[in-house]
Amino acid sequence: MAAVAATGSRLLGLRAAGAERRWRRLRGAGLARGFPQSASAGHAAVQRRQVAHFTFQPDPEPQEYGQTQKMNLFQSVTSALDNSLAKDPTAVIFGEDVAFGGVFRCTVGLRDKYGKDRVFNTPLCEQGIVGFGIGIAVAGATAIAEIQFADYIFPAFDQIVNEAAKYRYRSGDLFNCGSLTIRSPWGCVGHGALYHSQSPEAFFAHCPGIKVVIPRSPFQAKGLLLSCIEDKNPCIFFEPKILYRAAVEQVPIQPYTIPLSQAEVIQEGSDVTLVAWGTQVHVIREVASMAKEKLGVSCEVIDLRTIIPWDVDTVCKSVIKTGRLLISHEAPLTGGFASEISSTVQEECFLNLEAPISRVCGYDTPFPHIFEPFYIPDKWKCYDALRKMINY
Amino acid sequence: GGGLTPQATPVLLGRPGHPEQAGGHPHRQQQFSSLEDKPQFPGASAEFVDKLEFIQPNVISGIPIYRVMDRQGQIINPSEDPHLPQEKVLKFYKSMTLLNTMDRILYESQRQGRISFYMTNYGEEGTHVGSAAALDTTDLVFGQYREAGVLMYRDYPLELFMAQCYSNVSDLGKGRQMPVHYGCKERHFVTISSPLATQIPQAVGAAYAAKRANANKVVICYFGEGAASEGDAHAGFNFAATLECPIIFFCRNNGYAISTPTSEQYRGDGIAARGPGYGLISIRVDGNDVFAVYNATKEARRRAVAENQPFLIEAMTYRIGHHSTSDDSSAYRSVDEVNYWDKQDHPISRLRHYLLGRGWWDDEQEKAWRKQSRKRVMEAFEQAERKLKPNPNLLFSDVYQEMPAQLRKQQESLARHLQTYGEHYPLDHFEK
Repeated sequence: MAAVAATGSRLLGLRAAGAERRWRRLRGAGLARGFPQSASAGHAAVQRRQVAHFTFQPDPEPQEYGQTQKMNLFQSVTSALDNSLAKDPTAVIFGEDVAFGGVFRCTVGLRDKYGKDRVFNTPLCEQGIVGFGIGIAVAGATAIAEIQFADYIFPAFDQIVNEAAKYRYRSGDLFNCGSLTIRSPWGCVGHGALYHSQSPEAFFAHCPGIKVVIPRSPFQAKGLLLSCIEDKNPCIFFEPKILYRAAVEQVPIQPYTIPLSQAEVIQEGSDVTLVAWGTQVHVIREVASMAKEKLGVSCEVIDLRTIIPWDVDTVCKSVIKTGRLLISHEAPLTGGFASEISSTVQEECFLNLEAPISRVCGYDTPFPHIFEPFYIPDKWKCYDALRKMINY
Repeated sequence: GGGLTPQATPVLLGRPGHPEQAGGHPHRQQQFSSLEDKPQFPGASAEFVDKLEFIQPNVISGIPIYRVMDRQGQIINPSEDPHLPQEKVLKFYKSMTLLNTMDRILYESQRQGRISFYMTNYGEEGTHVGSAAALDTTDLVFGQYREAGVLMYRDYPLELFMAQCYSNVSDLGKGRQMPVHYGCKERHFVTISSPLATQIPQAVGAAYAAKRANANKVVICYFGEGAASEGDAHAGFNFAATLECPIIFFCRNNGYAISTPTSEQYRGDGIAARGPGYGLISIRVDGNDVFAVYNATKEARRRAVAENQPFLIEAMTYRIGHHSTSDDSSAYRSVDEVNYWDKQDHPISRLRHYLLGRGWWDDEQEKAWRKQSRKRVMEAFEQAERKLKPNPNLLFSDVYQEMPAQLRKQQESLARHLQTYGEHYPLDHFEK
């Protein structure tokens, strides 16, 4: 069956932008497929890559932080880093390929502006990057480390979990690495497969002593990243890579912070609570619209924002009101962070629940390449789970 | 006194010369030209060769071992004698012997069930004291777990060593870690953690921060030859060299990683031979010769700070004691081997011979000091035994700088639990 397709988001293939424009013109002209068909017209057409599974919804322009500028997610990260290095003379940024601007352009211009001793490449070694970052922080300076893809954070797992997270506790508060922040691109991107798509937040959720933060948008990213950098505890900041270019909104030029460990109710509702983080927030926002339109159901949509320590009160308050909870994440179902939320909510809100808590997540498989459209917890799966919950 | 004469500078292996082109990458050759039949590869600075020949690693004649004293404490080459004043050398001796005395008593206290665990430093006291003495007191120290002599040299009180081993109310670490996991902010000794080699890249980061701050400080990072097999060691060495950090990597090669002898730990020429592979200036020293350790560390410190580059010192020594109180090394090595080192090549004996030879010590002082040091240790020990353990609320603090709401709930939950079931818990031993 021919698939109507358009080019998906392409983060690294900048030359493809030209092809994209050609494709859009042809599509506008009424052709379902912009490229020459094969001679046998009845044969199934060549599949094109899928549209994105979400639509980014920008938030209204913030009024309280002064002048704003249109920024995408990677630009909002650059802005946060720029603010940090300007304000804090001890702050340094390091990791693989950050010097030329980074593979996702998050550090463009910073080395020229702040110098090669402050924005520099390290050898290709994640355990070294994080260990080195811990040492900078222990010495009292601000360390902003980049791990090129969250899929590659695992060599640094020991340094994060056994060292960074425990530094203050084990030393009786004589030493700490609170001024360490680790940033890393995270989540599905359309074609990333096993090793460019992972969402490893659940591994770190099990680790007291660190904070894990995931933004849904450029405005959120800058404020949350600045909070992570200022926070006196080691933080991991996962950046949804699929949003780097796709998410564009007005972002304040000046620094500002968004509090950690505070979830945000981005839409109030009365019948079902929907919880997600990162890219998936936009999926459940759309599900909320679908529910209203097709089922007359009013959804309360919550962006969790901080995975640990997480905002139990906001989620529970919402479930006490609605009686129904659906949690959705790309990461695999078993042991995913939805399990933690579900378990806590049933402890705290048992008598308020009208239906079992629903988790709509990735399957318990590695993240596949060609099967990504089937793998991800898209709006149809979320909608279907919501419908079942309403009818329970 | 104590300064080195030029001839006293120990021979340090230089790193392979990298002609630094103006503004260019050190590996890059002369201006790119396709007409020249010279290698143009960015990855190495070398000539072509047209004969197939492999490099044979040389482990029979390894990197030589620098020493100042022979096994009887006699200075071999007078120009290498650091000419340290009597007071300083006596401090070396007293630090090493006090540590030895403390080790004996605390090892025994574990055998008697008074503390849960202990690790002795027998045979390696020279590596601790010689290196610590060559540093500034504010140089940051990252250790592994067998460097208590560094703290001893920096006058860490016996009371605090004991407090940590007993996990009592006086423990600066608030009772959270197993014995010998010391830490002291005041004395710039970063708290020990059990995972091996994790401190190595951390030390490099701290050195980088010190360089940026123009602190004129060096960071020293201690680790054993076993820990040097960890990936974190490789990471640390490479980062230190590429990022030009003022750090001294100090490897205590004591022959064993628990039961694993060096023949099963590596096949190359120890740890010092790895240094040049990373671009590190490296040296191997006799770790049981406190002056050799001192000289090498002193010169490495001077240059590390002046030139912002890392140094690798491999101190050869021998672990006379068991790995820990959980180990019985007679299971994997002979008593004869251990006795050789204890009797024939011990850092404390060699220094004592030197002191006796200089007329700075005698048998009477030795007797008096043994009695005095033992008394001091016993007093601190008895005091530590009598103290309470810290308040159980300290189980919950310092996970983060601020206590998260959910953790506070857990703390309250334990408090309620103890109200009902407190009799089943050793509350009498803990501060209220």
